[in-house]
Amino acid sequence: MSAWLAANKDVIVLWFGALCTLGLYSVLYKENKIYRLFEHLFLGLATGFLIANTWTDVLLPKWWEPMWNEGKWWNIFALSLGLCFYFIYSKKNSWIARLVIGFFLGVGAGQTFQGFVGDAWPQIATTFRPVIAHDAIAKTADHPAIKAVSWPDAVNNLIFLVVLLCVMSYFFFSFEQKHPVLKGSAKLGRWLMMFSFGAIFGSTIMARLALLIDRMDSLMNDFGGRMLGFTLGPIVMFFVLMALSGVVLFLVWRDKNRPAEVDET
Amino acid sequence: MNILRLLQQVDRRVLYVMLLLAVTLPFFVKFRVPVAVSPPTQALYDAIDSLPENSFVLFGPNYSAGTRGENGAQSEALLRHLMIMWHKKKVRFGMLAFDPQGKTLAQTIALGLQEEYNKQGYNIKEGESWVNFGYRVDQQNFVRALVKDVPGTLLVDVHDRSVATLPVMQGVHTAKDVAMILDVNPTAAYTIYIQFMQGPFKIPMGLAPTAVMAPEAFNYLDSGQIVGMLQGLQGAVEYEQLLNTFGRATRASNSLGVAHLLLISFIIMGNIAMLLERSKQRKAGGAE
Repeated sequence: MSAWLAANKDVIVLWFGALCTLGLYSVLYKENKIYRLFEHLFLGLATGFLIANTWTDVLLPKWWEPMWNEGKWWNIFALSLGLCFYFIYSKKNSWIARLVIGFFLGVGAGQTFQGFVGDAWPQIATTFRPVIAHDAIAKTADHPAIKAVSWPDAVNNLIFLVVLLCVMSYFFFSFEQKHPVLKGSAKLGRWLMMFSFGAIFGSTIMARLALLIDRMDSLMNDFGGRMLGFTLGPIVMFFVLMALSGVVLFLVWRDKNRPAEVDET
Repeated sequence: MNILRLLQQVDRRVLYVMLLLAVTLPFFVKFRVPVAVSPPTQALYDAIDSLPENSFVLFGPNYSAGTRGENGAQSEALLRHLMIMWHKKKVRFGMLAFDPQGKTLAQTIALGLQEEYNKQGYNIKEGESWVNFGYRVDQQNFVRALVKDVPGTLLVDVHDRSVATLPVMQGVHTAKDVAMILDVNPTAAYTIYIQFMQGPFKIPMGLAPTAVMAPEAFNYLDSGQIVGMLQGLQGAVEYEQLLNTFGRATRASNSLGVAHLLLISFIIMGNIAMLLERSKQRKAGGAE
């Protein structure tokens, strides 16, 4: 790295970040070439970063160095095994690739089974909840201690059970849902799921806003603050953003008032 | 133009500019809007605060620049608490990322906080108080190996130092020596920790998902598989309030509140305009 680059690295990163942010947000006006350029740049950088880090943090210390410097020559077999995947492109020898794929499918299936048990079993166990209030029960030789359940907790548990059963009944497809009880609970289950989807949608809006706020914070406080000082910088950046917004609104107004082109053909 | 129709046909870019104003103007207001701390945030705070003396926490910054707005603020809030816990109880932490950008983003935050807290005499040192193990691939198989042999699986940290010889790793050999897992994750990959580390070894686990992923994670909270959770940026704001600090999340919280109010008012105005317009059309139709 040249001395100039090393000395100005932070400034270059700030400028690059600010320009990329503005370039990517230009899509809010409409699809354009500047947006496309920065989009490809971002994707390219992220992919390059991934490849470089996979080498420096994983392959180099765990595979290459032990093989090259510590005499663990058998590490080369990992490469051979990986290369076997490429036999999928050979009509004659594709069976070799299928062997490797089969091996990894088997490993994956076994792990998925173990993972499912670890993931879902505690959740199944915690659905067994008391729906009647009771006092605490002390530990005896035969039973562990049981916590007290208040009436509000019992009602809460009952609501939980009703929601669980209604939603599960919606996914009960073994026979046609003709019975009024099953039909009603399935319908209620659908409504309850709608509440859940509503919560997810609301959270999605909050998440997207958080990302916008982060970029604006970065432009005004990180970029503006470090370039022009933490008092003046954010104010200047605010007016820059307002000026850019003004340009966008002018372009929108111009587009709307442009006379429609007459097709002479 | 009729005002009711105008309200329904506002160009989306006009709304964007209004949203931009709603987001940027609150940056100039330096005050903290008090927030109610939700039970999952409080539970996570309590779990970290009650960690035993000299324990070790595995911290997972498993996010990239795409979700930095939420996960970055969450990481900052959690790392603040861990550094305070180093000062109070010599609690150490190691950062392990399964996203290549996560290791760099978390390193920047940790170094910044280390500088900030060392000015207050916390004496935090990389390698002694905390360590960044860097990026690793294949989370599922890696975690399965990690639980049996922590230093042997990690081998080196981001500075290429042998993990086994670092003071921060003293007494950390298997998953049983990890007092807590904290995963900052915008995807459902946090379940890998639950399946192969938290569950089998009964390690308390805290989660910081994006707001989009938070509703799904409530199952794990209800079942006790995770002890507490930060729900998106709002979770980080609540956490900073508990820590009594003014960090990145609190700085963003005013903007978040104003932007929410603006969006709600857009929805209400749009719907009122639509309903009035419909009733007007119905009346006009009836008159004919």
